Amino acid sequence: MVAWNVQNVIINLISTFFISMSNSENKYWRGIEELEANPATLENISNEFSDKLPMEEILGDTEELSSNRRDFLKFFGFSVSAVALAACNKTPVKYAMPYINKPEEVTPGHALYYATTCGVYNEGFPVMAKVREGRPIKLDGNPDSALSQGSVNAAGQASILSLYDINRLPHPVVDGSEVEDWSEVDKKVNGILAGASGDVYVVSRTVTSPILQASIQKFMEAHNAKHVVYDPISYSGIRGANKESFGADVIPSYNFDKADVIVSFGADFLGTWISPTRFTADYSKNRVPTPENPEMSKHYQIESLLSLTGTNADYRYSIPASKQGKYLVSLYNMLSGAGGDLELPGNALKQIATELLAAKGKALVVSGSNDKSEQVIVNAINDLLGSYGSTINLSASMNLSNYDEAAFESFVNNAGKAGAIVLLDANPVYSYHNGAALAEAMKNVPVITTAMVVDESSNGAVVHAPNNHTLESWDVYQPMNGHYVTSQPVISKVFNTRSTAESLRTWAGEKVAMGEDQASHQWVVDFLSNDLGQDANKVFHDGFVQKSTGGVSSSFAGSVSSASSRIASNYKESSGFDLALYQKVGVLDGSSALNPWCHELPDPVTKVTYDNYVSISRHDAETNGWEQGDIVKVSGNGAEIDTLPLLIQPGQARGVIGIALGYGRSVQTNADNDLVDLGKNAYPFVQSSSTGTSYLAQNVTIEKVDSGYEFAQTQTHHMIEGRDYLREATIDEYKKDNAVRNEHKFETVSLWSDYDYSKGHHWAMAIDMNACTGCGSCVVSCHIENNVPVVGRKEVRRRRDMHWMRIDRYYSFQADADETASVRVGPSNVDQEFKKGQWSTMENELAGLDKNSASGDNDYGHYDNVKVVHQPVMCQHCDHAPCETVCPVLATTHSSEGLNQMTYNRCIGTKYCGNNCPYKVRRFNWFRYNKNSKFDYHFNNELGRMVLNPDVTVRSRGVMEKCSFCVQNIQMAKLNAKIENRKLEDGDAQTACAKACPSNAIVFGDRNDPNSRIAKMYKNDRSYKMLEEVGTDPSVLYLTKIRNRKEEVQS
Amino acid sequence: MSGSFYSNSTFVAIVILAIVLLLIAALMVYVLRHITSILKDKSGAEVEPSFFERNIKPKMDSWNPTIVTLMVIGGLVLMLGVYGFNYGATEIGVQQGYSPDQPINFPHTKHAGAMGIDCQYCHTTAGKSKHASIPSANTCMNCHKGAQLRDNYGGKVSPELMKLYESVGFDPETSTYDPDAETYPIKWVRIHNLPDLAYFNHSQHVTVGNVECQTCHGPIEEMEKVEQFSTLQMGWCVNCHRQRGIDVKNNKYYEDVHKEMKANKEHYVTVAQNGGLECSKCHY
Repeated sequence: MVAWNVQNVIINLISTFFISMSNSENKYWRGIEELEANPATLENISNEFSDKLPMEEILGDTEELSSNRRDFLKFFGFSVSAVALAACNKTPVKYAMPYINKPEEVTPGHALYYATTCGVYNEGFPVMAKVREGRPIKLDGNPDSALSQGSVNAAGQASILSLYDINRLPHPVVDGSEVEDWSEVDKKVNGILAGASGDVYVVSRTVTSPILQASIQKFMEAHNAKHVVYDPISYSGIRGANKESFGADVIPSYNFDKADVIVSFGADFLGTWISPTRFTADYSKNRVPTPENPEMSKHYQIESLLSLTGTNADYRYSIPASKQGKYLVSLYNMLSGAGGDLELPGNALKQIATELLAAKGKALVVSGSNDKSEQVIVNAINDLLGSYGSTINLSASMNLSNYDEAAFESFVNNAGKAGAIVLLDANPVYSYHNGAALAEAMKNVPVITTAMVVDESSNGAVVHAPNNHTLESWDVYQPMNGHYVTSQPVISKVFNTRSTAESLRTWAGEKVAMGEDQASHQWVVDFLSNDLGQDANKVFHDGFVQKSTGGVSSSFAGSVSSASSRIASNYKESSGFDLALYQKVGVLDGSSALNPWCHELPDPVTKVTYDNYVSISRHDAETNGWEQGDIVKVSGNGAEIDTLPLLIQPGQARGVIGIALGYGRSVQTNADNDLVDLGKNAYPFVQSSSTGTSYLAQNVTIEKVDSGYEFAQTQTHHMIEGRDYLREATIDEYKKDNAVRNEHKFETVSLWSDYDYSKGHHWAMAIDMNACTGCGSCVVSCHIENNVPVVGRKEVRRRRDMHWMRIDRYYSFQADADETASVRVGPSNVDQEFKKGQWSTMENELAGLDKNSASGDNDYGHYDNVKVVHQPVMCQHCDHAPCETVCPVLATTHSSEGLNQMTYNRCIGTKYCGNNCPYKVRRFNWFRYNKNSKFDYHFNNELGRMVLNPDVTVRSRGVMEKCSFCVQNIQMAKLNAKIENRKLEDGDAQTACAKACPSNAIVFGDRNDPNSRIAKMYKNDRSYKMLEEVGTDPSVLYLTKIRNRKEEVQS
Repeated sequence: MSGSFYSNSTFVAIVILAIVLLLIAALMVYVLRHITSILKDKSGAEVEPSFFERNIKPKMDSWNPTIVTLMVIGGLVLMLGVYGFNYGATEIGVQQGYSPDQPINFPHTKHAGAMGIDCQYCHTTAGKSKHASIPSANTCMNCHKGAQLRDNYGGKVSPELMKLYESVGFDPETSTYDPDAETYPIKWVRIHNLPDLAYFNHSQHVTVGNVECQTCHGPIEEMEKVEQFSTLQMGWCVNCHRQRGIDVKNNKYYEDVHKEMKANKEHYVTVAQNGGLECSKCHY
């Protein structure tokens, strides 16, 4: 009996521990391998290093000791002499070269900020370029423009490297050889155009620049040429639907900040659809409940692939992509009172319809499909809900794309007979579904291209007349109707290039001056002053100007019945799989082929770097006997991919596979790195016809050809083991108790005497998991600001990625209303399990879930719907840091301002600190990643190194590095305050991540300043610290994720 | 001359002095012994074996001469090793006294010395940014557009000035700039270098710290050719940070520090006391 009592006490203690540990309703898992792994795999995952340490070699056995001694002496002798020689090295002579005539505004060592655009993907995105000594080193969003709202997405941040790209053509190329004089280029081009035996075509992406448009116009007039627009990503569905419904061929602006209920049918509006940065900024405004206003918008996502937007939804349902139209029709019928036929599990569609009607005028339904009929239904739904005029603005349309499939198709058919083709920035050979045919046709036609690199389309061009990079150009764009964004050069031309507008006008016969002050400058000034009536210098300063836009009538004139009948007749069940083609957040449409940051940014959902793959649902993989890492052949609809690895994706709909676009590029390059041959081109699967483009291919078959592919995933290691660092609650629970999940306060007793941080600054950071969408903009921004190296696929596989900041993505099961399985660990379960003689474990619960499926056998149904939480993690700057106490040389210490300092030159590479860090945020430089031909990325060439931030040390091999809370920015802010004889204000010191976040999820500041935002975060009941019970006292707060869902059913 | 404890010349001097003194002492002892023994011999008295002859010499005779030689040599090598280690640890990269030839023999004695031009007239950004910045040629031309120093060179332009004029494309005969001339920046040899691992900001010291240029750079106005006056070692920086006080009274940024000091009746706070020795103040 005594023993029983003791056991009872222990159980009670441990169950209390369990309650506090698993406060959250949900159990989180990082990936299927953690969830269902056998003990051996589990142990492997929890290892610090992925490779087995060669213990036998290190320890050795006595038989080999004698030879080891000799070797030891050899090494010892060699290293002594090596060191001696090294010590005799003379310090190299350094030179200092001032300007010849220093511009007044330049202060060497100070950054100047210019408003310009970043133009790799969608033209005319307003940014602020941070310029040091005449070269831009960072891009951040323009704080005033509605499009950027102070931030740029991950791909936009990374786009600065396309300026410093060694693959850019340094000089124009004529007939295969470089020429330095542009007059030779012009002579050749004029010769080609004069002798053109057929039509002359100008092929470009959608032009939103009135300057470029005017130049194309002049060229067309001079040579009787035709202008064909080609965009790799088509929005013809929305445009055609709006044309039919409202008479305006436009992509509207969506105001997510005005919407209380958002329903998205496969539109990845937070990641890649239309204008993700702006949508994220607007969307997040309604996602953060506060004590004063404990409300948040409701977001439903109905999609087939798990997209970034889907991970942020309150409710997410997976449907087969081909049925999306039918679901839309059903929703429309429910809204109009006719009663829909298709339903989602748990009668969700009815629920959605009810909520939408209740939120009339504040509702928004969007669809990512490019099918015109589906978009007509969406328009009809929005019209019923009164969205036009509030959440949808047809007048402030997005000039993203005016791609006409029919016109381009006729161009492709006639390309072989063309007299000359002038390719501007379009790359149809790569991204057109029938690019191969086009390439064949273009072989016999003289091609003149203004592309900056030699890509798939410009490969066989006769004349390469490379364009300036956006950051070297004067231009003005109209990305949104009425919103003009200007671009000014922030660096003098790196190479001998000429802007496309100037080239076209020269070839049209105009005399265009070629000098330092480009002719385009005058054209832009003329446009701003004459056409817009603005003070040109003021517009350049602000970066944009907003003009009022004309009204577009929002009376719906579309025909729902014909659209729904079209949908019904077009619907066919797939005989194989449905293939949904999508864009990844970092890579987008593939324009940035050789940008290492875009590829090393882990995909927000799968955490895979450097590859594209076939994603498939668990159920389908198990049914067909496939495993993750199998290599498959994908074929269908006339296209084929020989080998592509398979990835199992929780949350993906059954019968649907997904392949990302933007891979499989072949740009001419001398670099020898992982980017050269990356992934496979999935564009041939795109269904493009004269009526439109569909990113859904049907009847696609998969055949396994091999196995054992190892993805370079960043989140395959380290285990959660039931720890409670993710706290999640529902909005109802929040309304009842603002401090839900954070009730238990840990009492920690410290062995160390505490330091009084109340004087001076105490830097801290708060991350709002409601606002964080997982977009990754912070990760790339941190890379650029802190000179973090790129390591390549092989190193990422060995878990040696160098992300100072990572975004962890956790899955948890989404219990639907009619599921009775409990996924909660609580006191009742503990007692139950104890009686059974085993602890409640994840494995046991899963087994229980599987048994609950209707068919009785395991059909992995619970993988169809998962919830996802994103948690950005960086160095927590613990006030009781476990890393600081174990450094043998005190390379890492704590400052009086609460920063955990890392002194690279003192570090000897013991890696004990990395071992001791419970958050595993310390990254070790296993190699010297700069000036190293084995890592032939931008650090390995002089041009790429121009992007380095001169205020931050570039680390060599053998030292640890980690987030420093951008101490260089903190120090600069303090210095500016001291020089200006004032106190430091909140917002002076900003970390790169906080600055980059589109949704302002990251708040950084001095918690000793009572007026700062971070001080308010400390008072916010939602805030908690990660792994608080360990006693590290971190300086980073996380805010509990609140979802606008009903409470889960608990047993 | 400021220098660390392990200043090169002092250390070497002490070591050499010690060796020399030891040698002299040994020599004197030997001479004394020899003379004493001769005297004792002459007087015919019994020469008592000395302490040395009784206790030490027999032991020394039993030693293997090879081993003794090796040990002496080993001892010298050890001393050399200690010296070398010390050198490697503290002296590599220290360029105190470095005075390279510059492309133009710019005399600070004439400009900063005789004419008393303020350092920050030319080195304009010393108070504003992390670089003090070597002035660009247009600063020089502010005066030298007119001042061609022909009086000193018999009517011809000074040869050093000609170098300047060539770099900016200035024709002294017509006093105009030639727009087609190929201009190039002057390639000055940088004297004061800190390794990349250390961040140093001039404006912090010049504007906030009110440190005079000469404190670190020495009497530049007396240097015909600029040389590095200080060692620029971390210990040298830390030393000053430990001694120098912060002007908390006249800077609103330090308002709270000032208030607290007033309350505690403290009069002086050094940079070190205010956190100036923390690693990430200079290493990031």
